Amino acid sequence: MLSEIQLDALAEIFNVGAGRAASSISEIIHDEVKLSVPSIEFKTSAEISPEALSLNHGRFGTVRQDFSGSFDAVAMLLFSEDNALEIVRDMMGSQMSLDDLAEFEQEAMCELGNIILNACLSAMADMLSISLDSSLPDYKIASCDDILHAIAHNAGQDYILVLNIVLTSAKRQTEGQLILLLSSASLTNLIQHIDGLVSGI
Amino acid sequence: MPSHILNGVFNAINMGLIVVDQEYKVLLWNDWVFKHTHIRQTDVVGHKLSGVFSEPLSTMFLNAIKNTLAYGMPTVLSNALHRSPLPLYDLSVCADQKTRIHQAITISPILSPQGEKYCIIQITDPTTSIKREKMLRSHSEILKREAVTDALTGLYNRRFFDEHYALTFHNAMRQQHCLTIFMVDIDFFKDFNDYYGHLCGDEILKAVAQTLKGKLLRAGDVIARFGGEEFALILPNLPVGQAESYAEKLKDAVFDLAIPHCNSPLFKVTISIGVCTGVPSAEYDILGKADAALYLAKQQGRNRCVALAL
Amino acid sequence: MAKKLLIVDDSKVSRMLIRAQILAVHPEWVISDASSGEESIALIEQDQPDYCMMDINMPGILGTDAAEKILEKHPSIRMVIFSANIQETHQSRAKAMGLAFVAKPVSEKSIALALDYFQCGN
Repeated sequence: MLSEIQLDALAEIFNVGAGRAASSISEIIHDEVKLSVPSIEFKTSAEISPEALSLNHGRFGTVRQDFSGSFDAVAMLLFSEDNALEIVRDMMGSQMSLDDLAEFEQEAMCELGNIILNACLSAMADMLSISLDSSLPDYKIASCDDILHAIAHNAGQDYILVLNIVLTSAKRQTEGQLILLLSSASLTNLIQHIDGLVSGI
Repeated sequence: MPSHILNGVFNAINMGLIVVDQEYKVLLWNDWVFKHTHIRQTDVVGHKLSGVFSEPLSTMFLNAIKNTLAYGMPTVLSNALHRSPLPLYDLSVCADQKTRIHQAITISPILSPQGEKYCIIQITDPTTSIKREKMLRSHSEILKREAVTDALTGLYNRRFFDEHYALTFHNAMRQQHCLTIFMVDIDFFKDFNDYYGHLCGDEILKAVAQTLKGKLLRAGDVIARFGGEEFALILPNLPVGQAESYAEKLKDAVFDLAIPHCNSPLFKVTISIGVCTGVPSAEYDILGKADAALYLAKQQGRNRCVALAL
Repeated sequence: MAKKLLIVDDSKVSRMLIRAQILAVHPEWVISDASSGEESIALIEQDQPDYCMMDINMPGILGTDAAEKILEKHPSIRMVIFSANIQETHQSRAKAMGLAFVAKPVSEKSIALALDYFQCGN
């Protein structure tokens, strides 16, 4: 679907986004974190399965933002529920009981998702010279089936960009997924902008 | 809508509203913000937001505004991670408050038809919603607790055990950790009931349950009533080689209770234990192996532990 | 006199963009590139560049570690750490080594900052 050079350009865009997000997160937790994007894959919605998204059958904390502008995309960040709680615990930086933590999980995860999604999409806006609007982040606990269902029922969003992301702090390494749902028109548009960036070379 | 009505709406709304333009100059400052700062809108309109408070603003808050204006994407600052970014106080009781109120802040872009960029800062005090959520949760937690507890012994019930076993099995498999299962059965329990009656039998179940529970080592260890007089323990992180000595301790602890049982060869209430320990993989049935070990312990004369390797 | 520059970055697109932006300002410069820290250490001996632009996060050793090794033997190379990893710890490590830190992405502005440092030292 994409050439090697187009994928490399996307990887660099998300690399810059991840760097910005990591910088914001490290400001909050007062410690160094590393956010890396080890793999990027394009799929069609027909190819979507738990395996294709590297989801196991548990529950997930999901943050969703809908982007519109030069192209439209639904962006979702997924962490397993256990991982989400651990991240929140680390970010809150204190010896909190699980009870107290659950209370903050929703808003803290919402902010974390907002940081990562905004950073990635703003890097895209910068590097592809486009502008994007976004809805507010929305946090939900969802099962793998719920997520697949949501993807299948986003009418017209036939293409899915799946990024595996790894958040590494001094205490632990957490894996999650960033998913972008795109219509074929939006994908064409995105590819055109990537070609625009690459053709400047 | 006429502007004076619109102003009424802004001031009636029960949250803080501040609007700034591209140069961070204040355009709107509603009554809620006045109430929490005692700074009047007329004194701040046209001034840079960073200069209107008597205290400096955090870089994270200022960066959030900068990013929202630059990229047109909304930013949230959660109460969980920022507590009180702005110098806002509950001044209704005391005009000289030193503690900031808790805040949850949302910064959203507004684009005018002429293409000018603004952003609206919405501030809420999440304290009441935190309390409400806490109440709702503690209520649902009580219900949840009842659903997973064995009424007689107070241990977890079979339903919880099955779910928890599946989860720890999966985790141990994924993380390649050792998992240990103990199946425990009270010896000659039917004979005890026949002789002493069911009410005494219930007391035995409670006493054995408490004794076994008291031997749990770590927060992740779980004991459940598996069925009639049978108990099951899951210890996810027991060091390799310690399963058998741990089982011996459980057996001795019940023996040391010295509860009389005149229908038992030892004249005391005793237990038999089957243990299985190892790093699980999908094809291994660690629970079945522990159960088979328990069967062997019964066959070999009871009041003993038998371990089977995975 | 034409200057020699070594670009070290694991992203091919990044290397190409940096090269294009610099050649637009200095068409006479001789530019070589490496896709890892290890490769850059080997290339330095061969190419003897005046300047170097170094990414941080690459497969293999960190760019900052490669920079340290290179500077031990070639203290006169002017080097810019050019990375998306903009956390304070990395910026201050670069500064502690006497290097400039410029944040990605590749743009006219970021390249101008790097060129400024190469030629004026600030």
